Amino acid sequence: MPDRTSRFIWPILGLPGIVWIALFFLVPLYVVFCVTFGTVDPIFRSPVPAWNPLEWQFEQVVVVWDRLVGPNNFYLPPVLRTLLYVVVAVVACMIIAFPVAYFTARYAGRHRALILALLVAPFWISYMMRMLAWINLLQPDGLVNSIITLGGIIPLEVNWLSGNPFTVVMGLIYGYVPYMLLPLFAALDRISPSLIEAGRDLGASGFELFRRVILPMSVPGIVAGTLLIALPMMGDYFTSDMLSKSPNTSMIGNLINLSIATPGQSGQAGALLILVLLVLLAPMIWYTRSNAKAEVRS
Amino acid sequence: MADRPRPPISRRRLLQASALGVPGAWVLSSCARAQPLDSPAPAASAGGGSASAAASLPPLTEIPIASPQNPVKWPINPGNEPITSGLEPEMNATLRVYNYPDYVYKRVLKDFQAEYADYNVKVELSTFNDLPEALTKIRSGSVPFDVGFLTYNYMGKLVYGDLIRPLNHDYIPNISDVWEEFQNPFYDQGWQYTVPYTIYTTGIGWRHDLISEDIGARANPYDVFWDTKYAGAIAVLDDDREVIAMTILRNGGTDVNSGDPAVLGQTRDSMLEMLSVSQPRVTITGYTDIPEGTMSLSQCWSGDMITGQYYLPEGVDPGLLRYWSPPTGQGVIGNDFLCVLKGGENPVMAHHFLNYMLKSEVAMKNLSFVGYQPPLRSLTPEAMVADGLLPANLAGAIVKPEWFQVGYPILELPVAVEGEYQAIWQQFKSGG
Amino acid sequence: MTVSPAPAEALLSEAQEPGRDRAPRGMSGARAHGLAAITAVYLLWSLVPVAVVVLFSFNAGRSRSTWQGFSLRWYTWDPDGSVINDESIRNALTHTVLLAVIATAITVPLGVLFALALDRWRGRLPAGANFLALITFVIPEIALAIGLLFMVTYLATPFGLGTTAQIIGLVTFQLAYPIVICRARLLTISAHYEEAARDLGATALGAVRRVILPMLFPAILVSAILVFADVLDNFVLVRYLSSDASTETTSMRIYQVARAAPTPALNAMATIILVVSTLVIVVGWLLYRRWSKRQGESTDLSSFAGNL
Repeated sequence: MPDRTSRFIWPILGLPGIVWIALFFLVPLYVVFCVTFGTVDPIFRSPVPAWNPLEWQFEQVVVVWDRLVGPNNFYLPPVLRTLLYVVVAVVACMIIAFPVAYFTARYAGRHRALILALLVAPFWISYMMRMLAWINLLQPDGLVNSIITLGGIIPLEVNWLSGNPFTVVMGLIYGYVPYMLLPLFAALDRISPSLIEAGRDLGASGFELFRRVILPMSVPGIVAGTLLIALPMMGDYFTSDMLSKSPNTSMIGNLINLSIATPGQSGQAGALLILVLLVLLAPMIWYTRSNAKAEVRS
Repeated sequence: MADRPRPPISRRRLLQASALGVPGAWVLSSCARAQPLDSPAPAASAGGGSASAAASLPPLTEIPIASPQNPVKWPINPGNEPITSGLEPEMNATLRVYNYPDYVYKRVLKDFQAEYADYNVKVELSTFNDLPEALTKIRSGSVPFDVGFLTYNYMGKLVYGDLIRPLNHDYIPNISDVWEEFQNPFYDQGWQYTVPYTIYTTGIGWRHDLISEDIGARANPYDVFWDTKYAGAIAVLDDDREVIAMTILRNGGTDVNSGDPAVLGQTRDSMLEMLSVSQPRVTITGYTDIPEGTMSLSQCWSGDMITGQYYLPEGVDPGLLRYWSPPTGQGVIGNDFLCVLKGGENPVMAHHFLNYMLKSEVAMKNLSFVGYQPPLRSLTPEAMVADGLLPANLAGAIVKPEWFQVGYPILELPVAVEGEYQAIWQQFKSGG
Repeated sequence: MTVSPAPAEALLSEAQEPGRDRAPRGMSGARAHGLAAITAVYLLWSLVPVAVVVLFSFNAGRSRSTWQGFSLRWYTWDPDGSVINDESIRNALTHTVLLAVIATAITVPLGVLFALALDRWRGRLPAGANFLALITFVIPEIALAIGLLFMVTYLATPFGLGTTAQIIGLVTFQLAYPIVICRARLLTISAHYEEAARDLGATALGAVRRVILPMLFPAILVSAILVFADVLDNFVLVRYLSSDASTETTSMRIYQVARAAPTPALNAMATIILVVSTLVIVVGWLLYRRWSKRQGESTDLSSFAGNL
């Protein structure tokens, strides 16, 4: 017999979580709006937030917008560069992750648990440590140069850490590819082997099987993986900072990071951030809703 | 099994939520800090509250700009008097020191702890990457920093932002060893707030085996940053004022604090040109990058190459490091200072620390690690060479006292001009 | 850095059917070998650099790229630089572990409770909150970090920058983990168990406590491990919300020092954190095994990895 209080227990249990999210997720975002649409103290150039939406002023947004599309639009190159790096990195991650995920899902057999564990390992190895690893390897006298020059014989030495965009993109790929692997693995894993068999029985060749059965069925995994790495990559600044330090590889995250620490520029950082979030809003919502559907499906 | 998930956000819900916006904003505005963490506290303390206290500071429209032609004696804000004489240092203090990385010898800090072991003091060193970041953190009041290693073009903000404590000279007798100039510097007449730490010039450092030419022999040595010859192997300092100053000097100007729009426009164009021609990195780590060979040449400060000897990999000859700055002294020259920050909890111990750093043995030991010259009478260039601190190949790194008459210090800027400089720097750092 | 919720559930469901035959028949040998080679190369590329970092933490000299002999110098006896003697490294290590423990201790109960509520409480409010929590998975971390930085700077919060702010940021960022993982697990727990318990006289709360929570144990365990490992590794949030040297973490330390004058002591510090992470995972696996044995469920590594 259900007791009277049972209906309220669930809301009570859920309330702390709701309060927390409201307080420490929504409120901070609102504060960002207030700072961005506020004013700047004329003497010390510290931002003065405007709490009332009716008092919001948009000069900071205008400044940022101007720097994006105006005559001296110097924000545009980092934005385009970021998009380029992200696209290249995502495609490369896909090319790398697909065969590995496919192998683990279909062919790994007895060793599957071990391989999965190894694939999952980067999640609990610090991202910074993995970047540090590459900084060490890419030193002028590091392992990579030693290998490609075969110990100093072939004069092929490259200065990897001198602001080379290739290094930054490789860093992004190295850092994010594990996050592409798991969704792909999950999607490929769901493909029932009987489907593959059926396709084979009907005379499909290996390539056709891939193109017409496996690829379409792995699309949810591909999309999930893409969103899962592309969105955080947009805000990445430390990869470029650690592996390059050159303005020629600066990304949107670097712009935001630079403005935050500079007195008087916090509003601009906020405006940039809001612009980035607006652009990412549609994919973010799409991703979350498709996940909600996935939850129901399983 | 479960019913179809309702769409997480419906239009009606959105409207309801936004209707909450205005009362929500009212709630937030009443929760706002009376004084945001990163803006200065009012000069009059709330405790006094009398009209006279509020009126004793002149109404602030513009912070005075100190320069060699216009020396400034800062006011002492009411409520911010120096500590009285004869106090004992605090017991069990954690002396929080805020500095650039690798800019003070940690052994010197440990020695201070040993010398004041009776008071059980612990020195805790925090670092910042650049001065704007440091100022933001200090203003935020989140950490009670006691001692700051800062630079004079932020003096106005420190004083009027009520972030700095005036010094009681009784605690700092070692000041007598300091060069005359710094007992009455233009940026702090009567050394009310600061004691000098190091002096330096800004020039160019390189490794001779990677760059065989003598940069100093060029007609315009700064031009090397616009030279395709060394593209990809050079760096400039991660300091907006330094890069802008160097560009102005390269273009033939002498006012490195210029507010002239024509000069600034030309500077902006030159800096962008530099980016495309030589793809420099932007970093203050020349003191390790050049010895290690990651970079061949960098804009750097005079102490960087001296301390760079310490970072050479084994087997590389220290004689390969070189430094150039204008031999007549007509280049960027500056000094850093030590100050006691108002937010700190241990002002007496902080005074003792300042005095300690002015001791010539301590300064010498510190110099052996950081490479920067302290302006002490007892530390003559001859003494530095004799002690092996200054090798012959780095003789150009010595700072001569007379250079302070002809050199170009980087000064504080009026607010509007500062905005211009920041915009140029942002554009530079965006990669053009 | 996050795991997508969808594969977590997919892997969970796979774990529930350990007997399902996985090996396709008639697989092409060449293709399998080719893919195996690719996988092997990938694993090497992924893990060997890390192994090199660990290796060079034992380097006898100062270089991080030239091997100069084996030594424990950077862990113990180097006077200025070793982990034991360099206070900044020690502080970073202890602070990192402290943050991880506290953040996990707050996040997991909060998230589990919320997942429980979500499962039974229908409505727009919980759905909206769930939606927001999922957004934290994909929002760039810098957005949350800046939001919290502004909030602490401009609102009269009882705390300033520092450990408290860092923990709050970390909990907010990680909250989605337990929510998603526990929800996925809850969806597979039939409502019959709870009904049976209630028929036997338990109150709603009692049913939760004595029936559902024990069944949720693997999900709770997995979320705790994930949150802990993720916090150990966090960078953007802790950096923006830090105050002074006492609130630095190992990732901040690596970031700052790697750009200046690193010694193998940095490698040593990273290795220590790696060991801590590994220990946590291993302990979690052992706990999982004990629980599974008692429940009679599959105990092999793949179902555990599947839960991850």
